[in-house]
Amino acid sequence: MDVPLAIACRKINKRYPHFSLSDVDLSVEEGTVMGLVGPNGAGKSTILRMVMGLIGPDSGSVTVLGHRMPDEQMAAKRDIGFVAEDMRLYESQSIAFHMDFVKSIFDSWDDTYAANLLRSFDLKKEQKVKGLSHGQRVKATLLLALARRPKLLVFDEPTTGLDPAVRKEVIDEMMNALESESHSILFSSHNTLDVEQISDYITFIYGGRIIESCNKEDFMDGWRRIRLSNPDGKPLPMLKNIKEMQQHGRLCSLTVDQYDEGVAEHLRQSGLKVDAVERLTLEEIFLSNVHHAKANLSKEAGL
Amino acid sequence: MSTSIIPQLLKKDFMLSRRMILVFCLVSLLGVVAIALLFGRVPDWALINVGFLLLMSPAATCGIVLLMTTVVFEKEKSTQAFIMSLPVTPRHYALSKLLINVGVFGVFWLAISAIAFYFAFGRGLFPSGTMPFVIMVLLGAFVAYIGILSVSLWRQSLGLTVLSIALFEMGTSAYLWVVAFLDPVADFIYGPEPVWNSTAVGIVSAQVLVAVGLIAMTLLYQSRRRDFL
Repeated sequence: MDVPLAIACRKINKRYPHFSLSDVDLSVEEGTVMGLVGPNGAGKSTILRMVMGLIGPDSGSVTVLGHRMPDEQMAAKRDIGFVAEDMRLYESQSIAFHMDFVKSIFDSWDDTYAANLLRSFDLKKEQKVKGLSHGQRVKATLLLALARRPKLLVFDEPTTGLDPAVRKEVIDEMMNALESESHSILFSSHNTLDVEQISDYITFIYGGRIIESCNKEDFMDGWRRIRLSNPDGKPLPMLKNIKEMQQHGRLCSLTVDQYDEGVAEHLRQSGLKVDAVERLTLEEIFLSNVHHAKANLSKEAGL
Repeated sequence: MSTSIIPQLLKKDFMLSRRMILVFCLVSLLGVVAIALLFGRVPDWALINVGFLLLMSPAATCGIVLLMTTVVFEKEKSTQAFIMSLPVTPRHYALSKLLINVGVFGVFWLAISAIAFYFAFGRGLFPSGTMPFVIMVLLGAFVAYIGILSVSLWRQSLGLTVLSIALFEMGTSAYLWVVAFLDPVADFIYGPEPVWNSTAVGIVSAQVLVAVGLIAMTLLYQSRRRDFL
């Protein structure tokens, strides 16, 4: 049986003078966490804003919680909590003012949960926003998004600029928000540690294109770095899943996607000595992916 | 669950601006008291100039400060992203901004219009023949405000809003000069009775239509807008 989708982006395109989003397909299943990873300017915020209905695609479709965006954004946003790194609250007002305002809009506002969040985030309702640190401001914004008990949480770089302690608090609360299986999270980050920690699925984006998207286990299991010795200087076999290659004299390092034992065997048969097969961290996988995508884009552009 | 949150947005903007609105109300009240005290003690021409300044300045300044804080700075200070994360469409957002700004300025404008009418015609500062022109002047200020508000909602740009303030102010002054020298208006301006000839009716109707048209165009533009942030 198909798992219902919280978010379905189909072939979305958006053109700006100096940037374009090309044929983006993105699916987030209900009850899962999708981490969107990409360098600055890759298109992460544009995708999240399309999911929120704040930007309309030039072509393609965006469906969120069964609502077509941006046309049905009012109904969809009743069940979405959105936090963006560049989102600000009213500086002259207190956290209580914002809580009362959001509570007046959402019937689902949970006073007990809001009080718990205030306590666990060490925030005081009476605090004016202008007196909050960056970390406190992010936590206040997160509180406003979580206490309304949304079905879908969309976070745009929520942990950027936070110290490790606050980052952990924010990540922990994001995880707590997933108590119910029907809740889903889509979040963007260039911090691969955060993504690795909480995501079920990971999507890499570069230059306005999705370069890879699958579940975390497949990512972590599929990528390997193979360290080789090539004493006789034999030519390396051209395997299609080699994403990156570095050669220093007789020593060689290959970064490989969709790894299986057959790859190492093939290298041995080609007269190479396999010294080690290592797992990669998500950051290394991300960097390798970006490197590969960059090379492909340059090739396409004829550079 | 599909109800609009415009009332909550209006309440929020009013709560954010209430102190500023109160200050301008008090300044206006002081202006009215000053006019009442000066009445009969200074020459009429001086009272007309000072009175216009005392009545119009607080209303215009309040209107401009309100649109700056509720429209322009909401974009500049990134609080708009917070508002747009709530169940609100661009059209509802624009409508709430129009309502709060036109509402507050409209109340000010109606109050100063009533006070201006009282002093001008109730206390005999102007002959009754000036009434159509005074209405044109007051409507001119209202149309200029709607124009500035439409520009600020169109782009939410500080520079463009400031430019529109300068252009609408100069444009309205120039327009009123032209109107004042039109024969069908000028010939009756010092008359004992207001004369509502076709020119006077046409000018007033055009002013009302421009104000309504600007509001309609702003709402239409916002409802067709695909990119909001």
